[in-house]
Amino acid sequence: MGKVKIKRKSTLIDMTAMSDVTVLLLTFFMLTSTFLQKEPVIVETPSSVQEQKVPTSNVTNILVSPTGEVFISVAGEADPDASAIYAKEQNPDISDRDYLAEKGKWASDSIRRDIVKQVLQDYAEAKGISPASLGLTDADIAQFAKIGNFGMPIEDIKKFLALSQVEQDQTFTKFAAMTPEQKAAWNANRNNVRVGIPMPEAGKGLNEFQLWMRAIKKVAQRDYPKFDEAMKKGEGIAVKADKRTPFATIHPVLDNLQTIRMNKFTLMTALKSQDQ
Amino acid sequence: MAQIEQSDKGKKKKGAQKKMPIHVDFTPMVDMNMLLITFFMLCTTMLKSQTLKIVLPTNEKVQKENKQQASSDKAITLLLDTERDDNGNPKVDADGKMKNIIYYYMGQPELDAAGNPVPGQLQTEAFLGNENNVPRGIRQILYDRNKNVLAEIAKLKEQWRNKEFSQDKDENQRLYDEAAAKVRNQEDLNWPIVMIKATPQASWESVISALDEMSISEISHYQLENLNHVDSLMLNLKPQN
Repeated sequence: MGKVKIKRKSTLIDMTAMSDVTVLLLTFFMLTSTFLQKEPVIVETPSSVQEQKVPTSNVTNILVSPTGEVFISVAGEADPDASAIYAKEQNPDISDRDYLAEKGKWASDSIRRDIVKQVLQDYAEAKGISPASLGLTDADIAQFAKIGNFGMPIEDIKKFLALSQVEQDQTFTKFAAMTPEQKAAWNANRNNVRVGIPMPEAGKGLNEFQLWMRAIKKVAQRDYPKFDEAMKKGEGIAVKADKRTPFATIHPVLDNLQTIRMNKFTLMTALKSQDQ
Repeated sequence: MAQIEQSDKGKKKKGAQKKMPIHVDFTPMVDMNMLLITFFMLCTTMLKSQTLKIVLPTNEKVQKENKQQASSDKAITLLLDTERDDNGNPKVDADGKMKNIIYYYMGQPELDAAGNPVPGQLQTEAFLGNENNVPRGIRQILYDRNKNVLAEIAKLKEQWRNKEFSQDKDENQRLYDEAAAKVRNQEDLNWPIVMIKATPQASWESVISALDEMSISEISHYQLENLNHVDSLMLNLKPQN
């Protein structure tokens, strides 16, 4: 009887194919991903059957926390070429040098910087003081323009910028974890970096929220035609709030927008089907 | 695959070095890739938020239009409310859905001699989705009230689907939108005017749902308004379920 010889096989598994697949997947995720924006409070938006997508460029997001603090974030044009293309449309004979100089003018940083400058000017004017007395240098403004989502009284911007990046983030996360009483106590102390853009009901002139929104509108009208167009259509402003938040908390935001005649805007929702 | 074979075509020289197959182990590479994939998967938002467009009337205009519209018998007023517990958190049902309630009345509220609303005018409904394509809850009421417009829109949708407006996709859509907007405003179709009023404790979800119902029911005449005195009195009268 012949013996059946069992050939010993190596247990090595060839990982090349696996590696190919993972690299493909990785490429896919890298290209399709838009990073989750760091937000000072996490809210769960209500759902609707609307299928219109939230724009990621040329939009002002107004975030209302469950306890009523307001945060604003402004996103400019994501494509650095957009402004140059627009300049070319306006003037087909534009020289190459001017064309290159136009590039990147509509980026988030640049529009935010203009807005901050505008709001400081308006704020100082409303208070009857000089903008310089707010103590914010051009470097401070440039630094502030890098912050995606902000929400603090204009007075506290200087204090906020003095904090390190980590401390800045912690200000919001710590605040979000407080009870409503603690929050009130925190915001009552002028030594703290208070959280939320102040929106007092009555008072002389415009409140800070209105100043910010009006500054955004002004700056858009002046230098950012695409942003202005989005604002006029109502796509340029998106209000985001938690679905459990009582209407009384969000109503002041809508009311303030109405007061400064920015009555066209969008509300952020998640998608659901008609059966839900 | 991962090994590079070096053949020497049978010419074996004495003293030549023994050639070993080169084998590259890709396992750590795969490990690292998987980690990166996990990172990107967790950090991305695949589902983008949707938006609901809303136009609020300017503050000055509200009062003028209020008078005009409230006098109309076309009006439906929705009063939104959410049940909350003592801590102010919304109560939820067994499915975890918030208990949003809609009180509604048609036309003008009936007042007694003293100017107080007559009890029992408010009716109660809830936000319910379709079941087998049949609208339920408040949607059924609105569908019923706006059935003429919905019937016309359904015809237009059929045309839109068959590309009867235009063979070009975008042009078809544009012409459909135009025609639909016309139908929504056509006077003889007896469309309702909906007044949405939220109580302070009403959840944001209920407000969004109410606005959403407007677009589902193809109602283009609606307004988000503040509660007035009569409305609050009516809510105090504890509507019958």
